Amino acid sequence: MPSLAVRLGLLRLESPLVLASGILGVSASSLALVASRGAGAVTTKSCGLDPRAGHPGPTVLPVTEGLLNAVGLSNPGADAMCEEIREFKSRCPTTLLFASLFGRTVEEFGEVAAHLAAAEPDLLEVNVSCPNVSSELGLPFEAKSKELAAITALVKKKAGDIPVALKLSINWGPIGEQARICAENGADLITAINTVGPGMLIDTNVMRPVLSNQVGGLSGPCILPLAVRAIWEVRRSVDLPIIGLGGVASSEDALQLIMAGATAVGIGTAVYHQGLDLFERVNQGLLRFLAEKGLEDLSEVCGAAHG
Amino acid sequence: MGDAMRTVRVKAIVEHGPGLKSFLLDGPIESAAPGQFVMLWLPGIDEKPFSISDLGEAGLEISVKAVGPFTRALMEVSVGDYLGIRGPFGKGFRLADRTLLVGGGIGVAPLRFLYREMGRLRLSAWLVVGVRTAADLIFPDYFRSLPDCLIVSEDGSIGETGIVTDVIDRIIDQAGTTRLAAAGPEPMLVALRDLGERRGLKVELDLERYMKCGIGLCGLCCVDGSGVRLCVEGPVLSSAELRGVTDLGRPHRDATGRRRCGPD
Repeated sequence: MPSLAVRLGLLRLESPLVLASGILGVSASSLALVASRGAGAVTTKSCGLDPRAGHPGPTVLPVTEGLLNAVGLSNPGADAMCEEIREFKSRCPTTLLFASLFGRTVEEFGEVAAHLAAAEPDLLEVNVSCPNVSSELGLPFEAKSKELAAITALVKKKAGDIPVALKLSINWGPIGEQARICAENGADLITAINTVGPGMLIDTNVMRPVLSNQVGGLSGPCILPLAVRAIWEVRRSVDLPIIGLGGVASSEDALQLIMAGATAVGIGTAVYHQGLDLFERVNQGLLRFLAEKGLEDLSEVCGAAHG
Repeated sequence: MGDAMRTVRVKAIVEHGPGLKSFLLDGPIESAAPGQFVMLWLPGIDEKPFSISDLGEAGLEISVKAVGPFTRALMEVSVGDYLGIRGPFGKGFRLADRTLLVGGGIGVAPLRFLYREMGRLRLSAWLVVGVRTAADLIFPDYFRSLPDCLIVSEDGSIGETGIVTDVIDRIIDQAGTTRLAAAGPEPMLVALRDLGERRGLKVELDLERYMKCGIGLCGLCCVDGSGVRLCVEGPVLSSAELRGVTDLGRPHRDATGRRRCGPD
C-alpha cells in the first residue's frame, strides 16, 4: 500500500500537505478545522512580539488566477499565539503545528523565537520575506545577506531542539544564494516561496490603488511556474529539506513542486478557489499517482526532475 | 467576478437620525440572499463588512449606524461619491414559511431585506423590531406600516415599552411560528436562541465577528470551537451550527486575532 507519509528532516507528516502561513492561522479553532480536512501540518499566521492589527482594508483582492494581498502581518502577539499553539496541540495530536514568526529587528526575531519555542511547536518558520511591510520595516531581511545570516543563527540558537525553516521569496535576489546563507548558518529547512511582487491594482473610477498598502504580494495558480523554478534552484544550492509552496491547486501541481525538490507542499490561496475539501482531493490524487507508478511513497520522486 | 472590487456611485442617502443612514448604491450586485453581506470600501479609509438591508431594481441598500472611525467617515459620504463593493459573501437565512424575524438596533437591517424577500415569495413572516429609542430605528415609517410588525423600544418612545424578549412568547403563541431568524447584539441573540429552542423553534442567528478578507482566508472571523468561518459558512448559523460555537455571547477576537478580555 502506498503511503502519503513523508519525512521532513526529523519530522514525520502523515500527508505532505501543509497549510501555508497566513491562511486561517490565527486561532487554534481555525487551524483545527483545516487539520480535520487532511493537512499533514498547519502553519500559524506569522507572529511577532506584540499584537498587531495589520493594514486597513482592502487587504485581499482577487485577480485572474490568484490573489493580491497586503494584510500587514496582523497577529495576536507571541504570548497569545503560544496559547493557541498549546490548544491546537492538545486538540490535534496527529497534525504537526508549524509556528511562523517575524521580527522588526534581528534581535526581535530571536525574542519571538524564544517565546514561541516555549509552546513547543513542531517547527519554527522564520518569515524573512514578507513583501507587504517595507514602508514600515524597510526591505525584507532576506534582501540583506548579513542580517539573513544573523537571524538564522540567532533563531536557531533560541529554538533549542525545534527545527528551523527560513521562508524565502524570489523578490529580492537569487534565492539559491539566500538558501545557501541560511544553510551555512544552521537552518534545518527552507520554505519557498513567499508571495511574489509586490504588485499593484488601481481602481479606474477613484483612480487610486485599491489595496490600502498600495502594493501587495501575488499568490495563486499564476505563480506556480515561478515556485517550481525557485524550488529547483534551492534544491541545486543546498542539501536541506524543502517545504515548497506557490500556487498549488491540484495533486499535479504538488507533484511538480516535489519533483523540483520539495518534500512537503504548502497550500494557501487555493483554499479560496476550491474550499477546504482541496486537501483531501490533493491527498487522493497523490495516492493515485503513487499507485499508478507503483511507488511506495513520495520520497521516490522528490527532486526527480533533476535527473 | 463578484469577489473583485467594483466601485459604484452613491445614488441616494436617507438620514434616519443622528449617525444613522441608509445608502442606496448604483449596482453592482444583481442578486443576493438576505443575511449575506458585502465588503464596503471607503477609498482612502478602510473596508468593512455590512449586511445588505435591501436589494432590488433601485439598487443595493446598506444601512449604517456610526459606531467607530469607519462608520463615522461613512456619514460624510455624499450622493455621487464612489464606494467600493466586494461580494455578496457568506450564507444567508433560510427562506421558510412561518418564520419570526427579530432584529435589535441596526441588526434590523438584514431582516428588512429578509422580510421583503419572504413577502415576494408569499411566505408568512412576523417581525419584531427592538431599539433603545425611536432615533435608533431605520425606516420607522416603513416598519410602522407593516401589518405583522411589532416595534418595541426601551424608553417607550416608539412602539411598546420593553425589549424584544418580553414579547416573543406572545407572538409565538399568537402566530404559531415554527422558525426564528434574528440579528442584533449578541447577548440579545443568545437570549433569543435559548427562548426559541425552549419553544421548539428552529433558530438561525446572524453573527458578527471581526472580518478582514471576507473570502475565507484570513481566519479572523472564525468562531472559537468549530472554527467555522462566518464569512463563508456564516454569518447566519443554525441551532446545530451554534452548538459548535464556544465563544457565543462571550468576548471574541479583535483585528489582531487576540481574544478581547472583559465583556464584549
